[in-house]
Amino acid sequence: MSHDYKMVQWNPFKKRFDVWMLSGVALYLVSFITLTYATQPEGNSFTPIQAMIRATGTLAFLMLNFILCIGPLARFSHRFRPFLYNRRHIGVTTFLIALVHGGLVLLWYHGFSETNAFVSLFISNPRYDSISGFPFEVLGFIALIIMFLMAATSHDFWNANLGPGIWKALHMSVYVAYGLLVAHMALGALQFEKRPIFFLVLGTGAGTVILLHLVSSIASLRISDRIGHEGWLRVAEVRELEDKRAKIIRPVDGDAIAVFRDGDRIAAVSNICRHQGGPLGEGKVVDGCITCPWHGFQYRMEDGQSPPPFTEKIATYATRIMNGTVYVNPKPNPPGTPQAPSEVGGSNEQG
Amino acid sequence: MSKDDFFIGWAETPEVDRRFMLGAGLSIITGTTAVGIGISARQRPVGSGTWNMGEIREWRGIATSEPYGMIRTLDLDGTERTALLACQGKCGVSAKIGALAGKPVVVKGSLIHRGRHAMIAVVDGLDWIREDPDGSIDGLAFPQPEPIMDVSLNGEIMDSKCWFGAMRPARGKIHKSCASLCIRGGLPPAFYVRDMKDQTALMIMTSGGYGHNKDLLPFVAESVSITGQLQRFGDLFLLDAPVSAITRL
Ligand code: HEM
Ligand code: FES
Repeated sequence: MSHDYKMVQWNPFKKRFDVWMLSGVALYLVSFITLTYATQPEGNSFTPIQAMIRATGTLAFLMLNFILCIGPLARFSHRFRPFLYNRRHIGVTTFLIALVHGGLVLLWYHGFSETNAFVSLFISNPRYDSISGFPFEVLGFIALIIMFLMAATSHDFWNANLGPGIWKALHMSVYVAYGLLVAHMALGALQFEKRPIFFLVLGTGAGTVILLHLVSSIASLRISDRIGHEGWLRVAEVRELEDKRAKIIRPVDGDAIAVFRDGDRIAAVSNICRHQGGPLGEGKVVDGCITCPWHGFQYRMEDGQSPPPFTEKIATYATRIMNGTVYVNPKPNPPGTPQAPSEVGGSNEQG
Repeated sequence: MSKDDFFIGWAETPEVDRRFMLGAGLSIITGTTAVGIGISARQRPVGSGTWNMGEIREWRGIATSEPYGMIRTLDLDGTERTALLACQGKCGVSAKIGALAGKPVVVKGSLIHRGRHAMIAVVDGLDWIREDPDGSIDGLAFPQPEPIMDVSLNGEIMDSKCWFGAMRPARGKIHKSCASLCIRGGLPPAFYVRDMKDQTALMIMTSGGYGHNKDLLPFVAESVSITGQLQRFGDLFLLDAPVSAITRL
C-alpha cells in the first residue's frame, strides 16, 4: 500500500518479477542483434547503432502491446492479476527502451550536422500534407513524450496528489500514444521494409489490443438484476452471496456498487478503488478488510476507510436484508462515512 | 492466506499464482523473442558500403570544388579515379577548397567506399588540405563533362556519403530525414536507378554544370522521375537536370 512515498516500492514479488522481465529484455536484444547480423547477405551489414535502433524500437512496441492487453486479460482470468500488480514496472521499462530508440535516432539520423537535432526532427521531412510521405518520426516523438509523462507520474505519490480523475485521464492517453505508434510504424518502417512479417506483426498487435478491449468492455456492460423495492436495488438472496466475496451491482445511473459478505456481515462500498480505479468487487475480504484485486489496497467493511496509517476513503452504501434477500440503497454516502453492515439473522433483518 | 489463491502483491504469492506466472512469463518471453527473431531475420539487405573511420591517411591528387568537392587521384587503385570529399559529419567541403581548386593537393582523411564508389571523409580542423609542391597536373586534371545522351529515368535521390557506407541502411523513408540533412549540408546528391533486370546505376546530380543545393530537398528519398542529360565525368557518371525536370511518381 501507499504511504511512505520515499520508499521504492519493491517487495519480493516485484523483485522476482523484475529479474524475469529484465532477463527477457536482454534475451530479446541479444537475439535480435545476433540475427540481424547473421541473416544479411554476404558483404552487407548494419551499422551497430542502426541495428540497436531497430532492436529497441520493435521491443518497446511489443512490450506496449502486452501492457495494453493486461487489463482485459485480468478481467477474463484473475490469474493475470500479478501482471497488473506490476504493470508500472513494465511501463517504465518500456519507456526507457523507447527512449534509447528515440535517442539513438536523434543522434544518428539527426545529429552530426549544423542543424540542431531537435529542429531537424521537425523540418528535415516537411511533407506534413502527405499521408505516405508524412514525417513519421514526429509521431514517435509525441508518443515518447506521452510515455515520459506517464512514467514520470506513475508513482503513487502522483496518483495521490493529482487526484484519481486527472491521473486516470493522463494514463488513458496511453491509447493516444499507441495509436500514434501504429501510425509511426505504418508510415515509417513499413514504407521501407515491405516483407509480410512486418505487416503481420503490426496487424496482429493492433488487432489483439482492439479485440481484447472490445470484448472486455462488452462483458463489463452486462447489467445485473435491477429489480428493486422502494428505490432499493435487489442484490441477491443471502445464501447466493459467497463468503468473503462480493456481487457487483450496476445502477442505471451512478457508479457500480460492490456488495460484500464477510461471515454474517453484509456491507456495500463503491466498486471503484481509490488507487487506480481497480474493480473492488472482484476483490476479497482479508482480515475484515475489503482488498483490491489489483494492488492490494484495503478498506474497512464498516466505513470504507483504509486502516491506519493509510488514509484512502471510498463511498459506502446502506444495505438491508428482507425475507432473506439483500438490498442496497443506490445513493452513495460520502467517502469514508461509517455505515453499519447488515447482520444476517440480526436485528436489522426485516420481514 | 496460504491455501487460498487470492493474489495480493504485498503478501506471500500463492503457489498457483507462482506456477501460472512461471508458465506465462516463460511463454511471453519466448513468444516475444520469437517475434523479434522473425523480424530481425527478414530485414532487407542494407548494402555493402564501409567506412574505415580509424584508417586516416594522406591522398594526393588534383582538387576541384565544382560541381562538388572532389579529388582526382591515383591513390585508390593506381588508375585515375575520382573520390568525392566530405567532412566527418553531414557537410560538404567544396567551399573550403577555395584557391586550391585545380591545384595538386594532399588531403588527409579516411575512405568510405562501396564497390567502385569512393569518398574521402577529411579530418576535422584546417590542415585537412594543403598544396602539394611535388605534385603535377599531368594526366590527373579534371576533364570537361562529356554528354552521353538525354535520358528520362525513375529512381531515388539520396546522399552519396550515407549510401557509400556511412550508414546502413541509407535509403528510403526511414533514412529520408538524414539524407535531407546531408544534402542541406552540401554533400553531393546521387541518383540511384534500378532497371527491370535489377541492374543498378548511380549518377552524381548536377544542374547546368553546378552543384544542386536545398532546391532538391522536396524530392529526396522518394520515387521520382528525372529528365536530363547523362554525362561522363572521368570515371563518374553525372545526371545534369534542373529541379524543374524532377517529378514525384
Ligand atoms: C523521439 C521519438 C522517436 C523517433 C525520432 C523515432 C524514429 C524512428 C525512425 C527514424 C525509425 C526508422 C529506423 C530504422 O529503421 O532505421 C523508427 C522505427 C520504429 N520505431 Fe521509432 N521513433 C521514436 C519513438 C518511438 C517509440 C516511442 C516507439 C515504440 C514504443 C517506436 C517504435 C518504433 C518501431 C517499432 C519502429 C520499426 C522498427 C525500426 O525500424 O526500428 N519509436 N523510429
Ligand atoms: S489497489 Fe491499485 S487499483 Fe486498487
